[in-house]
Amino acid sequence: MAQRLHPGGRARSGERSRPRGSKRARREAPAGAGCLRAWTEENDGLAGGWRASRSSGPGRAAQQAARRCRLAFDSLLRKIQGLPAALPSLSLELTVLYNSLLFAVSESDGLVEGEAERINHGLIRVLEACGVSGQDLSTEELWQKVLQDVTTEELCAPLHRLGALQGAVWLAANCLGSVTGLFRLLSDTKGPLPSAHGGENELLALLKAWSVPVEGDTSPLVVQSTKDLKEILWTSAAFLQGLQGLEAGNLPTALSLLQAAASGFCSKRVLAQIYTCIGCCTQQMGKPQTALQHLKRALQVDFQCLSALSQAALVYRQLGETDAELEALALLYKALETPAQEAVSIDPCFLIRTELLVHTPALASLFSRSHPSEVKYLLAQRCLQAGRVGEAVEHYLDLLALLQEGPQHQVPLHGRSALPRIPEVFLEAASALEQLGRYQDAIAVCEEIISRTDDLIPETLRIELDSGAGGEAPGRAGSPSPGIPPQQRESLRCIVWRAAAYLHQGRAWARLGESKEAITRFTRCLNVLLRVQLVSAASIQSSEEMAEALPEAKVLQKIRLLALLGRGSQFQELGRDKEALMNFQHSLQVCPGDPAATSHLLRALWKLNRRQEAAALWQKLHADAAPADGQQEAPGRCVRPYPLYLVSCLKQVNLPHDESLARSLQDYLRTSGQDP
Amino acid sequence: AAGSLLKNQEQPFLQTPSLRFPDQVWHVELLPLRRQLYILCAGNGIYCVSLDQQSRLMKQTDGDDKEDACPSSVFPVDADACIVPDVTLCTFTLLNDVLVTLSQAQGQWWMKLHVLLDPDQESQPCRQISQVGFSTCDQTGDDGDALSSHFLPVLCCASAPGTAGPGEGLWCSGGFTLEEPLFSLLFGIDAAMLDSPMILCGFPDGQLCCVPLKALNSSEAVDACSEVAGQVPPVKILHHLEEPVVFIGALRTEHKAPDDPDDQQLFGDSGCDCVVVVGHYGKMVAMKAERGEEAKVPEVREYYLQGPILCAACGGGSRMYYSTHSDISAVDLDWVSNASDPESIDNTAYVLPPVLSPASLSICSVVALSLSSRASEGTLLALSAKGRLMSCDLCSPDDAHPIRLTPEKAGQRIKELLSGIGNVSERVSFLKKAVDQKNRALTSLNQVMNVSAALLSNQDGRKPVTCTVTASWSRLLLRDTWAISCMLENSSECSLEQGWTLCVQLFTSSCAFDEDSVDSATTFTFPIDQLLPGSKREVTLPLGSAEGTKLELPLTVSCALFYSLREILDSASDSYESLDDLLPDGSPGLSPDKEGICLPLSKCTIDILQCLRLDDSTVPGAPPSIATLSDPVETFLKVSRVQSDPSSVEVSDQLLPKAPDALGDEYLPPSVASIKVSSELLKNALKSFCEGCRSLRTLRGSLICLVSRAVWGAAWPRITNVEACGSYVAGLPGCSNIQIPSVRIS
Repeated sequence: MAQRLHPGGRARSGERSRPRGSKRARREAPAGAGCLRAWTEENDGLAGGWRASRSSGPGRAAQQAARRCRLAFDSLLRKIQGLPAALPSLSLELTVLYNSLLFAVSESDGLVEGEAERINHGLIRVLEACGVSGQDLSTEELWQKVLQDVTTEELCAPLHRLGALQGAVWLAANCLGSVTGLFRLLSDTKGPLPSAHGGENELLALLKAWSVPVEGDTSPLVVQSTKDLKEILWTSAAFLQGLQGLEAGNLPTALSLLQAAASGFCSKRVLAQIYTCIGCCTQQMGKPQTALQHLKRALQVDFQCLSALSQAALVYRQLGETDAELEALALLYKALETPAQEAVSIDPCFLIRTELLVHTPALASLFSRSHPSEVKYLLAQRCLQAGRVGEAVEHYLDLLALLQEGPQHQVPLHGRSALPRIPEVFLEAASALEQLGRYQDAIAVCEEIISRTDDLIPETLRIELDSGAGGEAPGRAGSPSPGIPPQQRESLRCIVWRAAAYLHQGRAWARLGESKEAITRFTRCLNVLLRVQLVSAASIQSSEEMAEALPEAKVLQKIRLLALLGRGSQFQELGRDKEALMNFQHSLQVCPGDPAATSHLLRALWKLNRRQEAAALWQKLHADAAPADGQQEAPGRCVRPYPLYLVSCLKQVNLPHDESLARSLQDYLRTSGQDP
Repeated sequence: AAGSLLKNQEQPFLQTPSLRFPDQVWHVELLPLRRQLYILCAGNGIYCVSLDQQSRLMKQTDGDDKEDACPSSVFPVDADACIVPDVTLCTFTLLNDVLVTLSQAQGQWWMKLHVLLDPDQESQPCRQISQVGFSTCDQTGDDGDALSSHFLPVLCCASAPGTAGPGEGLWCSGGFTLEEPLFSLLFGIDAAMLDSPMILCGFPDGQLCCVPLKALNSSEAVDACSEVAGQVPPVKILHHLEEPVVFIGALRTEHKAPDDPDDQQLFGDSGCDCVVVVGHYGKMVAMKAERGEEAKVPEVREYYLQGPILCAACGGGSRMYYSTHSDISAVDLDWVSNASDPESIDNTAYVLPPVLSPASLSICSVVALSLSSRASEGTLLALSAKGRLMSCDLCSPDDAHPIRLTPEKAGQRIKELLSGIGNVSERVSFLKKAVDQKNRALTSLNQVMNVSAALLSNQDGRKPVTCTVTASWSRLLLRDTWAISCMLENSSECSLEQGWTLCVQLFTSSCAFDEDSVDSATTFTFPIDQLLPGSKREVTLPLGSAEGTKLELPLTVSCALFYSLREILDSASDSYESLDDLLPDGSPGLSPDKEGICLPLSKCTIDILQCLRLDDSTVPGAPPSIATLSDPVETFLKVSRVQSDPSSVEVSDQLLPKAPDALGDEYLPPSVASIKVSSELLKNALKSFCEGCRSLRTLRGSLICLVSRAVWGAAWPRITNVEACGSYVAGLPGCSNIQIPSVRIS
């Protein structure tokens, strides 16, 4: 078996502490020394110049300097590779390749296709110089061949250095298997891994075990030391695998890997990201307090890490600490108002950084910058849900203003945005305004929806519900259920929004005491709803099945119920009890057994002195109400909650328990001898 | 092709400076609020030029140079004016202070939103706000690449009515306002409620996409390359034209009540009710809100016009103008106005006409169109392919129908016209032929002049056209032949066209440098059909075979290019006298008999060293250990070593060069080798070894030293004795007698 290269342990005598002046003398003018020396001097000059210039810190100047360096190294490499590969110059060639690639990877932001190709070419030249053909081999095979067949001692260090860079390129491409294989080759795999005790990640152990080639005085200068690169590789490998574990739901492993990564060598920004990931991980493991600690730490490390704030808001929400959650969201909003700091594209001290090597979709989505309008919406929504109507109204009004602003404030409309459809935002705002008692404003906001949907809804919308759709689990909002064309679905949504807007207007007018106006709005609402014709297949019988097939259908039904009840109440106000009764009866047909409808009807019947009917209804109500509770749906079923803009209507529609009515009903029943 | 831009619109006779851009200008937009012109230059980015700055520039030139009679002075554009440097940019559009660009990178289209900043307050001219990717070019694959090289995407902006007041409305050139039902139907309620203008985008693959300007973002943050599952960008695909989109515009197909003056006033503001998209090959799509009872959807109708369509323009009316290579045509999408009964307008649903009948304007080769006024049918501005700007007054479709002719008169008129057309076309074809001939002659003369100028003006440096002579052994017709090959390489910018001849003259050694004995030389000529810039051609002259005639060495080879003027003058004119007028006496490079132009290329000497043949490929049974050595020097060394060893005579026999028979008796095999040294190596070696040494002897010494050390010193440590033997190297300037060592291994 061919002897493998192993850089450790050799040439440790020549440490870097030797003064630089001795460098010239040591070169024993080997073959073709002229060129070799000139090239080495050029390389050392460039690398030295870069090392000297990097004290100036990151910035535009550093970027330009890096670009110049890359070009210079490229041209030097072209010069060297213009001649056939020769053993004496290979060490220099590989070093120049390493330097040039460092700049290229750093500049390309981790997109590394061309770089991989150049490493391949370098390896093929190494094989050529040794008289071995390396054509038609994959990069992995090339590395295997090179590391097994090339036994020249001088090439060991540059090859290992290049290997580390190859590892970085593969990490950036998420090829963890290739990296592991490479480091198995690079480390001395004959002996057992020093820390391969149970469960420890193999790649991390390999990286730890890999001994960095010594950069003695005899070797040409490099722009970033392999030692740094090793540290960064280790951190990146831990972070990347931790992220993958987090994505796969392998939480304990992910946690240990991420904790390892946090102990590694990285920038503050990355450290904050790692802490945030740990926070996510522990939160998913059911340890919200630990999660909060880590998120706080992330913010301490880098306040620009806004994802930690939004994650913290989520955790607080889980914990039910609304105050803290709102505070976090408000902070997040404030932070978002200041423009984002540009990411430093080139850090002169570390050309290869963890940022460049860790790319996963999970990371991108976790650390995508949320939009101010999203956060504002969350604030408004949470306030409304928590019953802080005043704050909610302010946030909603801010949000509406934000939405009207110019294109500089972008509104996220994509599927993963926290923001719902725009008409729903308006409806929620109207609902909040109404709850606060700003009825005219609520009416105006609803008017906007009504005018916008004017042209969009057809005279009749006939939707055939497929029985196939019935088996479909109710998806999240926006996921089109099969069988209904998207165009029809959009029309249906428009109808729902328009009807809801009329409903809110009706309620607002009712509160203002304008019963006639209110009745007009409720009637319009019902007319809009009448445009929808749901044709269900034979298999869909109950309203529950219908709601499953088409979630909007359930909302539609509820709006109809609320409009009928609202109109009935207004008729009662006007003293038109018979019409009121008709509306209540109708509402009970729409939602059979609905407690609110029943109690309204009961009261109307009693008022009209139709006591017998009222008593029968009362008994029925009591019989039904025993197991079920209020407006709560049957428990155990996965029920989609009603839209936020309907929640307050649904709450308020329930009549307060009328003690006197109940007593008189019981009296009536007792006297008529039908005591329950 | 360098683009230049001439601003000459308001006062046609004002002298205005023009700007020269580094590459083709693809798109120009005017931002009147800031008095700025935005220009997209291919492969460079977007430049911003202030009109005030332009006039200042103009004044300066007027002051400096009053004598300047040239109507337009050309200035190169300032590199600092490039506000968005991006080589991948394909098109852009402007909306007040917002710049929307479309670029192609990583196999995707990227729409980016920039905000133009106030140059007085900010350091940057603009800041990128957000971006969104369109993955349309992936689907087309290779075809898409081919298409996109020819066609640029089209961007335009559609706004909803009432998004801004009439005075300070959104300025957007090429944009339009859409009437309400259509806007919401096409773009959805969210965009309508956000009051967001929509960016419409037509791609070369035929897709028509739209994205709200206020929601120009995808859910991905930074890393746009990896696909995130479930990502729904707010991009909507409106239609797929299946051919490159060349135009997106909007029309007003329904007339407002003419008796309402207020309405007339608001005509421009109420917007258009029909979006039209035109494809390059003639497909046109019109989209209009349908007045149906059922689910509201925009009506989409496809029409087929005669392509290829280069450009199109719409005004506020119902007509669209489009230009093919041969004509400008107008199509009218006003369907209702053609209905016979005006009472039935209300009953008939407003739909699009089933077919279109284009009306010709008889203006050809127009590459850009614009309607000067959006509100009414005003003036059509057309830019021809040759750069002429035409303005055509359009008559409104309502008035000014052409005067009706009686059938008899019409017949007579047609006859007259037809005969007139016949006459003209005959004459045209005759003249065209003559012009073509002259043009061809001029083109070739121009090329000849270019080549000559390039070669003659460049005496000392590297010539743009070179001829490299190499001698080698090759196997021709089962015989080993020694041949000279001349590699003609054209690294100039002009191509060598038909008419050029490569002349190779061979002088034998005795008379190589003797002027009188020119006649004894042999001349070979090779016609060059066409040699494009950057290409090479090799010609081979077999000189002798292994068993054949004796060669006299050294041999001087002289190469020259010759161009016969007779040929072009023959084709251009019948008279020969013009030749003397054309070329005055004493023109350099003209041959004595004035028959052509002769341009010497190179002269070199082939000597005995180059006849040495060292190839082991012909040896069938060579031992593998030696056969794997491909380096001739090593082969040579091996041979030398084995030769000195009598026990391996067989091997050395097989490896011996086979040339000596043909080369003469004085040739001693294999004591001589020619060594090629890389110029890079030589330069470096000379720097270190030979600093300060001037004399030839030292140079020779260093050469010996250098070669032995550089080549063998390391790789061949067993060499103990380096000795100079009588051999000969030619070609070094100034010294014809440098001795180079042969190597003898003891």
